[in-house]
Amino acid sequence: MADWQKLVGQRLSGLALDAAEKDEVHAELAAHLEDFYESLRTKGLSEQAAIQQTLAQVANWPDLRRKILMAKKGRDFMKKRLHQLWIPGFLTFILSTVFLMTLQKLGFQARIVGDGPNAILFCAPWLESLLFVGALGAYLSSRAGGSRGAALIASVFPVLALTAAFLLMFPIDLFVERIIGRQVDFSIVATALLREGIGWILVPGAALLVGGLPVHLLFSRRSSSQETAVG
Amino acid sequence: MIGPGIKRGTAELAVLSVLEEGPLHGYELARRIEQQTKGALRFTLAALYPMLYRMEQRRWVRGSWETGGNGRRRRCYRLTAEGKKKLSPIRQEWAELFHALRRLTKVPHG
Repeated sequence: MADWQKLVGQRLSGLALDAAEKDEVHAELAAHLEDFYESLRTKGLSEQAAIQQTLAQVANWPDLRRKILMAKKGRDFMKKRLHQLWIPGFLTFILSTVFLMTLQKLGFQARIVGDGPNAILFCAPWLESLLFVGALGAYLSSRAGGSRGAALIASVFPVLALTAAFLLMFPIDLFVERIIGRQVDFSIVATALLREGIGWILVPGAALLVGGLPVHLLFSRRSSSQETAVG
Repeated sequence: MIGPGIKRGTAELAVLSVLEEGPLHGYELARRIEQQTKGALRFTLAALYPMLYRMEQRRWVRGSWETGGNGRRRRCYRLTAEGKKKLSPIRQEWAELFHALRRLTKVPHG
């Protein structure tokens, strides 16, 4: 017989509820599947057919996970997430991108550190602006009641988006190079990945974090002292 | 096509009406609805639990773990006073809708 508890746990992994509540949901759904399966077996279905019909109770587990989360946490949860993470995150992303484009239009040249193929480009005015962008992201997220994690993700959101773009771009590039029949030297690709990673992700990420972390700490300290004063 | 609002309303009415008869756990609730509607209304696990959790959040039902005669623990749902209060206007709305549709379509009583 199938281990329904294990199956539900696996299929609903990542359900963003606290541990006790999540265990309760897993146990309840597993019990339902177990009862359903047993009723089918009692009706004379083979083990295999009964398992298949029982599994058909849920056609889309990620959708069920989302619906359970919505039902348990309510619409407010999505609204909060929007204000604590997505709006500040996208704002930091847009601001950092617009500022970088403006600097390029104004003719600011990136500083080159290192020699030859290992040279890394740094745009100092942009990096300095990221301190403020990161601080703004953390401030907006913290003001909306975001946790430390949400505030820091909102701060470094521009580099998270860049990381995703890099991770997507490199395999596509390799694929295209292979299609057009050009030999790809993986050491060059790895070096480029590292170089661009440092210049566009690691250093800007650190700048955003340096801007965001103190603001969040300051904000959370102030709000906790206000709570103490009210209490 | 029946819209999601109508579907949800029907489902809520069905669940609240069956729970009015007494507390039940999810599987038994789904089975009872299917049985009483002669298979016209069927709830899969995926349809039932998000709705039960939503109704629990609204405090229309309350769930609690209970051990059955076979020694198995199941989460049983019972109708709250708020749920009972909610059931009456929902019933009224649906009665009006069915009455209007019957007049419109001239479908005789079942």
